[in-house]
Amino acid sequence: MNPKLRKIYVPMSETAFYILFSLQQPQHGYGIGQTVKEMTNDEVSISPGTMYGTLSKMEKDGLINLVKEEDKRKIYQTTDLGKEILQIELSRIKRLYKNSIGEKYYD
Amino acid sequence: MTKTKTQMKIFTIADYKEEEKWLENQHASGWKLIKITLPFFYSFEKVEPEKVIYQLDFKEKEATDDYIKMYEDYGWQHLGYYLGWNYFRKKESEATSESDKEIFSDTESKIEMIEQVFKRRMLPVLTIFLAVMIPNFRGLDKLDFSPSEIVFTIIYLILFALYIWAIIHCGIKLTKMKKELEK
Repeated sequence: MNPKLRKIYVPMSETAFYILFSLQQPQHGYGIGQTVKEMTNDEVSISPGTMYGTLSKMEKDGLINLVKEEDKRKIYQTTDLGKEILQIELSRIKRLYKNSIGEKYYD
Repeated sequence: MTKTKTQMKIFTIADYKEEEKWLENQHASGWKLIKITLPFFYSFEKVEPEKVIYQLDFKEKEATDDYIKMYEDYGWQHLGYYLGWNYFRKKESEATSESDKEIFSDTESKIEMIEQVFKRRMLPVLTIFLAVMIPNFRGLDKLDFSPSEIVFTIIYLILFALYIWAIIHCGIKLTKMKKELEK
C-alpha cells in the first residue's frame, strides 16, 4: 500500500472509521449517517458537510467507489484497498482493546 | 403583498460565522433571506419571527445535485451558491440534537474548510496583489501629476489600502480560527 495513504488513514478518525466500516454494504451518505447513529446508540453522528467531504476524499484516494446513482444520491461501497485499510485499522483497534484489559493480542 | 427589504452588508471570506449569526438574527426578527445579489446586497421577506439556523459551506465548485440532495436528506434547505459559498438553513425546532444544528460534526472537517478558503481564495487574491497592484504602484513615483492623475492616484491608493487591509484581516482571522480549532 502507498505509504502516504497509510499515513492518512492509519489511524483514522472516528468519523472515517464508521464511514468506511458502514460501506462494506453499498449505501449513500445519509444512509451511512443513520446506520452509524443506530450502531452507536446516537453517540456518533456525522453531519452532511463532514460526510460529503469524507466520502469525496475516500473516493479520490480509492478506498471507496461509486456503485450507482439513485434519485440524485450517490451510492458508494468499499474497494479492495478500502477493505485492506479497514482490516489494518480493525487489528489496531482490537490490539488496543486487548492491551487495555491486560491481554496480549496476536494478529 | 409581502413586505420585502434589501440591505447592504459586507462580510469578508473570514467572516462567515458572523454572517451566519447575522442572518439568524434577521430571521429571528422576522426577516427571511430570499436572495443575495453580488457583491453584498441581501434581500429579505417579512415573515413571522422564527429561530432558524443558517450555515455556510465553502466549495470551490458550484453545488452538484448529489451534494444538495445529501444536505436535504439531513433537513437542510439549500438557498444558493454565491462566490464559493453555499447557504443553508434549517428551523431550530426541526433539529433533533445539538449535532443536528451544524453542518460539520468534527474538528477536522471545520479545519479543512478553512484550509480550502485559504488555498482557493487567499492565495489567488495574494497573487493578483503581487502581480498587478504592486507593479502599478511603481508608476506613481513621479511628482508632476495632472488633476485627473491625482484623482486616479487617490482612488488607486484607497484601493491599495483596502486590499492590504482585506488580506491582513482575512489572513489573521482565518489563522486564528484554525488555531482555535486545533487547540
